[in-house]
Amino acid sequence: MSRGGATVGSARGPAGVPIPAYRPGSSPLHAARAGATAAFCLALALTAMLYSDPLVLGAVVAAVALAGVAAGVGAEIRRAALIALPLVVLVAVINPLVYRGGDTVLVRGFEILGRPLDITLEALVAGALAGLRVGAIVMAFGLFTACVDPDELLRMFRRVSYRSALTGALATRLVPVLARDALRIGDAGRCRPRPPGRLAVARATLAGALDRAVDVAAALEVRGYSAGGRPARRHRPWSRHDLRVAGAAAAIAVAAVAFAAAGAGAVETYPRIEVAAGPPELALCAVLLVAAALPFAGRAARLGVARA
Amino acid sequence: MRDAPIVSARGFGYRYATGSAPALAGIDLDLAPGSFTLLAGESGSGKSTLLRALCGLVPHFHGGAAEGELEVAGLSVRDHGPGELAAACGTVFQDPETQVVMGGVRAELALALEHQGAAPGAVARAVEEVALALGIAQLLDRRTETLSGGELQRVAIAAALVHRPALLVLDEPTSQLDPVAGDELIWLLRRLNEEWGTAIAIAEHRIDRCLPAADRVVALEGGAVACDAAPADFLGWAVDRGGALATPVARMFALAGLRPLPTSVKAARDGLRAAGLLPGADGGDLPAATGAPAGPVAGSVRDMDVSHHRPDGDAGSAGDAGSAGDAGSAGRGARPWRRRRGPEPAVAARGAWLEIADGPAILRGVEFAAAPGERIALMGRNGAGKSTLLRLLKGLAEPTRGRVERAGEVALLLQNPGDFLIHEHAVQEAGEEGLAAAGLAGRGAANPRDLSGGERQRLALEVALGGGGPWAAVCLDEPTRGMDRAHKDALVARIGALAAAGAAVVVATHDTEFAAAFAERIVLLGDGVAIGDGPPAEVLAGGWHFSTEVARALGGAGGALLAEQGAETIGRELVR
Repeated sequence: MSRGGATVGSARGPAGVPIPAYRPGSSPLHAARAGATAAFCLALALTAMLYSDPLVLGAVVAAVALAGVAAGVGAEIRRAALIALPLVVLVAVINPLVYRGGDTVLVRGFEILGRPLDITLEALVAGALAGLRVGAIVMAFGLFTACVDPDELLRMFRRVSYRSALTGALATRLVPVLARDALRIGDAGRCRPRPPGRLAVARATLAGALDRAVDVAAALEVRGYSAGGRPARRHRPWSRHDLRVAGAAAAIAVAAVAFAAAGAGAVETYPRIEVAAGPPELALCAVLLVAAALPFAGRAARLGVARA
Repeated sequence: MRDAPIVSARGFGYRYATGSAPALAGIDLDLAPGSFTLLAGESGSGKSTLLRALCGLVPHFHGGAAEGELEVAGLSVRDHGPGELAAACGTVFQDPETQVVMGGVRAELALALEHQGAAPGAVARAVEEVALALGIAQLLDRRTETLSGGELQRVAIAAALVHRPALLVLDEPTSQLDPVAGDELIWLLRRLNEEWGTAIAIAEHRIDRCLPAADRVVALEGGAVACDAAPADFLGWAVDRGGALATPVARMFALAGLRPLPTSVKAARDGLRAAGLLPGADGGDLPAATGAPAGPVAGSVRDMDVSHHRPDGDAGSAGDAGSAGDAGSAGRGARPWRRRRGPEPAVAARGAWLEIADGPAILRGVEFAAAPGERIALMGRNGAGKSTLLRLLKGLAEPTRGRVERAGEVALLLQNPGDFLIHEHAVQEAGEEGLAAAGLAGRGAANPRDLSGGERQRLALEVALGGGGPWAAVCLDEPTRGMDRAHKDALVARIGALAAAGAAVVVATHDTEFAAAFAERIVLLGDGVAIGDGPPAEVLAGGWHFSTEVARALGGAGGALLAEQGAETIGRELVR
């Protein structure tokens, strides 16, 4: 008699997809209207896009982490960071391999695909900065995913582009459903005497997705989708959280644009590394951190949400 | 003056674009506003197609050709699509997973009204009201992916009702739910029907579940109306046609020669009392369900011998059959069924625990063994650990403590048969031999996704068995969901053949009638441990929830579980 299961191991529950996901919460970022919170996250992402300065990018990462922890979605931010990590490493590694600029040669005569290649410190640093920028942007979108109610956001867009927004809603809704389908089909494959290959499982999952899509289309039809009405404009008074979050978003965006226009955060990597780290950069970092904390500041904000 | 019918069909017929025969033919039907109509019929009889016609999906979404006339709230379904009919007709499908569109419950409920361009205030009020009416107000701020199947189905019904349609059509809405959630759903529909006056048209295989709530039954055969009658008259028709659509208590009455046929367990008990076969109101209360057969009641069927009742009709103690066990009793508490020394178990879990890292323990030291050739039903509420135990037996999961022993290979058919079907053609799934075993010889070219639910179930079982074997054990997880009686009977026969070949067959099921039909032993799980273990006549005859309709009608008398056994029990009493 064979014996299985003697091994003691950790049980796995229903496997979740390790990506940031929205969960209703009671933080100011959750309580504020979707547009305001989305603007807050996008302002942080915009800052990362505008700057290569490591100080500023570090401040953006810190601001995202600060806001995420304060909003109770630190785990989601960590997931986003883990997703970004391979991308960051990839960018950081590829840049010195494909760009030969820079005065400080670290490795000379390196050959790739028959081409001689010098690896320079400047190219390494430029790659690292590009990777840091990618990481900051991904983390900002992780905060966005974790704190912005997709239904409310899509409702907003349905007034502009009804069908596109509804398609987005369906895609959002079906991703976890299809992930569960794939897991189930994988388990069923393990129950076959001759388990199928990954390609067969992937094809079955895709076919199942098409079946699901037909079912969802039928469900939409019987809900009056083809009647084609658009949601009426909803007049919702601005709450304290709306104002704080929108204010913080505006402060971040204005500061980022203004400082960039003034030439702050300039970085030169070739031929030699020159990073600006003066008072303007420090001031911008301070603005970012203060603005990120602004939605959570104040007694009223905390109590107001707790009682909502 | 009588209200105009909410549904009116005159010679309505329909053929799917890819169909060789009409799915509906010559339908003449009127449904009154505020009526509760049950659509009955075997798989492929046209129930779903008729419901899809009522909401306009047929012919507008599915294509094909329609003839005759079908009007819903005065709108012809041939001229008006589902978008226009949606104002008058709410629709709920079988699978709650694919009819919920939005990520949040509140947004989901608001969607239909937003499609109609309703004002935000009206939308908000309607959402609140429908949530309160259906008892799901606490779910409003939940994400839909966090809801259970029962909750999701309630949300789907609320979404279909939020704009207060005059007609609600439901296509097997309980087939994906456990019995408790299914029963709750039917009574919720009855309440909506009575309090709001919403006309209900529902297709269900579990006739016994819906019949007490319905005030009319329309039975379809081959796409045509074969019977259109009040529930009691429908039962008479169903019994005359062989009983495939009749409820177990109605078949029991018919076999025992009793009339009128009961439409509910309560009516059956009243009928038995009227015939002097159960104590009347002054004859003492019926003993409470204890898990064991009830004690003697003079002059009633209660004091009859239980020992000869076996699911397969054999004489002798169920405990002797095929297994190594003396008959324990669920009524003796939570002790596992004590086992005699016998053959090596085909599969066993020894003190098996399964504890999720960030959640509760699903199994808590389960002791379970199945002997070769034994047929076991694994029962228990949702979350009791049935599926998890089967996964441990198969080896899809490892116990965190304890061990699993297998005398050989274990086959497992998971809940969703579609997950096993991954090829373009049925023959690629199981080969010609497997197709023949599944009763699908000659259908090898068909796409498995085009097969009916019952056919897919049979094919998936052959895929899981893989033409291999001999199997030490074959485990089936909820194989009868959405299955009609004919297919269940075929599955019982297949299980018998597997057991006869020496495999222990372990089936997780909520279906007490099915369990009584195939099993020689019932293991009842609760909170991750076995809380009952014994022959069906002992575990199911005296249960409250875990009991068959016949056993409930007879109060557990004679250990009778199925219609034939109940009729035999009644017959002996009548003779005596």
